[in-house]
Amino acid sequence: MSGVKLEKICKSYGRLEVVHGIDLEVNEKEFVVLVGPSGCGKSTTLRMIAGLEEITSGDISIDGRLVNRVAPKDRDVAMVFQNYALYPHLKVFENIAFGLRIRKESNDHINKTVAEVSEVLGLTPYLDRRPAELSGGQRQRVAMGRAIVRHPKVFLFDEPLSNLDAKLRTQMRAEIKQLHKRLGATSVYVTHDQVEAMTLADRIVVMNDGYIEQIGTPMELFVNPANTFVASFIGSPPMNQMPAQIASSSAGFQAKVNDEVTFALPDNARVEAGQQVVVGVRPEHLSLNAGDGASAIPISLDLVEPLGSEALLHTSIGEHSLVVKAETHGDITHLSEVTQVYAPVHLVSVFDAESGLALTTGQRG
Amino acid sequence: MESSQRKHAAAEGSSVRPKRSLKHRLVWLVDHLKNEWQLYVMLAPAIIWFLVFLYKPMYGLQIAFKDYSIFLGVKDSPWVGWEHFQTLFSNDQFIRAFLNTIKISALNLLFGFPAPIILALLFNEILNATYKRTAQTIVYLPHFISSVIIAGIVTTAFAPTAGIVNTVMGWFGLDSIYFLTRPEWFRPIFVGTGIWQEAGFGSIVFLAAIAGVNPSLYESAVVDGASRWQMIWKITLPSIMPTIIIMLIIRIGNIMEVSFEMIILLYQPSTYSTADVVNTWVYRQGLQSGQYDVAAAAGLFNAIVAFVLVMVANTLARRYGRTSLW
Amino acid sequence: MAMNMNLYSRGDKIFALATAVLIGLFTVATLYPFIYIAAVSFSGGFAAAAGKVVLTPVDGTLAAYKYILSEPKFWRSYLNTFIYTIGGTMMSMLIIIPAAYALSRPQLIGRRFWNLFVAFTLWFNAGLIPFFLNMRDLNLLDSYFGIIIAFAVNAFNIILLRNFFESLPNSFEEAARMDGANDFQILWKVYIPLSKPAIATITLFCIVSRWNGFFWAMVLLQSEEKVPLQVYLRHTIASLSDDQEFTATLSSQPYGPESVTAAIIICSIIPVLIIYPFIQKYFEKGILLGGVKE
Repeated sequence: MSGVKLEKICKSYGRLEVVHGIDLEVNEKEFVVLVGPSGCGKSTTLRMIAGLEEITSGDISIDGRLVNRVAPKDRDVAMVFQNYALYPHLKVFENIAFGLRIRKESNDHINKTVAEVSEVLGLTPYLDRRPAELSGGQRQRVAMGRAIVRHPKVFLFDEPLSNLDAKLRTQMRAEIKQLHKRLGATSVYVTHDQVEAMTLADRIVVMNDGYIEQIGTPMELFVNPANTFVASFIGSPPMNQMPAQIASSSAGFQAKVNDEVTFALPDNARVEAGQQVVVGVRPEHLSLNAGDGASAIPISLDLVEPLGSEALLHTSIGEHSLVVKAETHGDITHLSEVTQVYAPVHLVSVFDAESGLALTTGQRG
Repeated sequence: MESSQRKHAAAEGSSVRPKRSLKHRLVWLVDHLKNEWQLYVMLAPAIIWFLVFLYKPMYGLQIAFKDYSIFLGVKDSPWVGWEHFQTLFSNDQFIRAFLNTIKISALNLLFGFPAPIILALLFNEILNATYKRTAQTIVYLPHFISSVIIAGIVTTAFAPTAGIVNTVMGWFGLDSIYFLTRPEWFRPIFVGTGIWQEAGFGSIVFLAAIAGVNPSLYESAVVDGASRWQMIWKITLPSIMPTIIIMLIIRIGNIMEVSFEMIILLYQPSTYSTADVVNTWVYRQGLQSGQYDVAAAAGLFNAIVAFVLVMVANTLARRYGRTSLW
Repeated sequence: MAMNMNLYSRGDKIFALATAVLIGLFTVATLYPFIYIAAVSFSGGFAAAAGKVVLTPVDGTLAAYKYILSEPKFWRSYLNTFIYTIGGTMMSMLIIIPAAYALSRPQLIGRRFWNLFVAFTLWFNAGLIPFFLNMRDLNLLDSYFGIIIAFAVNAFNIILLRNFFESLPNSFEEAARMDGANDFQILWKVYIPLSKPAIATITLFCIVSRWNGFFWAMVLLQSEEKVPLQVYLRHTIASLSDDQEFTATLSSQPYGPESVTAAIIICSIIPVLIIYPFIQKYFEKGILLGGVKE
């Protein structure tokens, strides 16, 4: 029994409730990412784990120990802040050593530990510099160093990469992932960027409006989104979603968008004839070539956006738009003649129109 | 894979939460004090200081309504109600002092308030950076000199035979005047001294405001053919008007605060008619003559007028700008 | 906003000249009294009394200085000023800095109340008499400690510093808290080092105010050996111009009341003049800190 456990966590500011009863269990050594749009409560939840926000109701346990009333410094957690919060007047060495000095560790221990950590993070040549003299990526590493050096039970990350430019972000993402592999520490990471979530997480917690929408591994969320919100949040470009009505046919159920467009649904779809649904299929799952059991979807092409080895085709089906991701093989001229795309049956998702909940679950083959 | 907790939460009727019980609050308080007691230790000395040196005298202010006797002390001195205030308002000298306070403040407002603004505007037109810097350095200096020294210099300069002012007047064939004994000269000298001492330093705020004006406003004016003089009126002044108004409001709030220390240093019994202000009157009646209760009443009157003015000024400032004097 | 003068029209150039002249006049007018006093201080007694001194010393002599500097009370008052200034400023820092920090923390219970408690003293002052009687009741009349403690705090400085602390991002406190620091440590190790300009400015205000402090020192102190420089200055100048006997004895000396007055003024100004160039950058920034926020 270790890691972090959140039970029925609620947070209110005065009368306004912003987190509505969250349950989450982070296993030891697991890297969990809380992801969602601004204001969904992910940072608030993280800060409650840290002890920087008061818990309105519910329980938080770290390593089996109830920490509701425990001060942050006694929870054995470390946090990497969005704006790094490095002490500008201290050198890198002292920034990293700050927590150790507070805890009155011996000079020997401090020197040794800081040296080790700087080595791992590649900061050794910069120990004598002040934060103002460092680049964004280096400052980020110092912030992590400060957290690592305390060997906490849990690492907390509050959108640490959002202040970096895109290229640096990609690089730092990889570094964080490698670091986690190396240190094997339980981590809770908050971001609004679903790409970061997908690449870093062992499990992702998708949050929206103070609720948890879904918890699962990246691939689970990608292949089996629990509702329309998760379906449109995860994946880039987002999953195509259109309202449709269930029709039954000899081959099984179908989602009828309009007279020309019908999607064949997988067998395990829990639908009834006449039901109003939202049918979804990812841009990368639509194919330009006919396949076994794939529904043929007539489209009218609006725009081709070349991305290099792939291109995005912006098309319309009646009044709805459909984005298709296709490979270019170096040449996009043939793409402008596309009039039909194909949706393989097992890659079509369907959601209840009213609740947004997924009606297709289980094994996808 | 866990699906949305939203339906679970909704199903449990989670919108109804237990209200924070008294026990809950108490627990929170104990935790807070356990973790944050240092903040209160940090705050305590200042609070104690205020209580002892600024709030406790307010308790003693009640002697304004008592016939104060040192032997009886504040508590046991007999109550006389508004008697002292009646004394005050029928006392010519006090009324004169009150009027003088207002008159001198008005003069200060008329001449002393624009001076730093004009100075700032002029400084802004100086092109040579070294000249500007040097001039500023010199002009800020009197602010740091004590009033005793300033008064000493002024007294010497305006002395009847020895002073430079009379010497220069002598060159033009004018008779010498013993300025600081003449009531009609007191106010001009006092206001002038104030300008000498504070206009330079006071221009810093306005210079900062001027520095904040968007340069492209001036650039487009140049293209439109405006002269520097026009730019001052059409660009600079309007742009710093918020700062000016705020400073003006603060100034009005402080009308009762004529720098009485300087007055004490410069006035004479022969100039009391124009120089005596409420606080100098209080000083003589109270601290020098020992008429503590009447003087305290005068001080209370002064403080209440000042308080009302500051409150009005504050409200105006908040309504005008998004600033307050908190 | 400086512009290239080549772009100036003729009217503008005249205007620029006029402003330069006006500034020059004001600067000279500011400076002249000091030069005048300096000249008088080095002048012979008769010349000074006769009003002969304009710009340069007449009958140059150091007699006035010798007279002033040989008086032990003068040096004593200088010492006292140092005591009040250094002691007072230190006392101020000890009380003001922690209080400002505490008031800047959102988690302080009753924060609004405490802020109001402090700010109220800026709006309402009980007055001279109650303050004086209070000091008497506290037995703080005629004491070094009384002067040091009774003027150690003012709400303006607390509010200035509090606002500055509030402007620092909260994440500094949070990071330090997660690192295990308590409030004292956070203040001492993080916030104070980050607030050097603001603290320097307040220190400067305190020092200037203490150095120049006159009125209450005069009222509260009765023993001559405890008075600070400004009070000694005042007593001397006053006695020089009022006391006929004293003035009479001076007429047989190479110095006179005017030159002595001038000399003692110069002696009191010297430290300020020396420090002044070094502090210029601090107070300019300081005004901006305490200045009106739009």
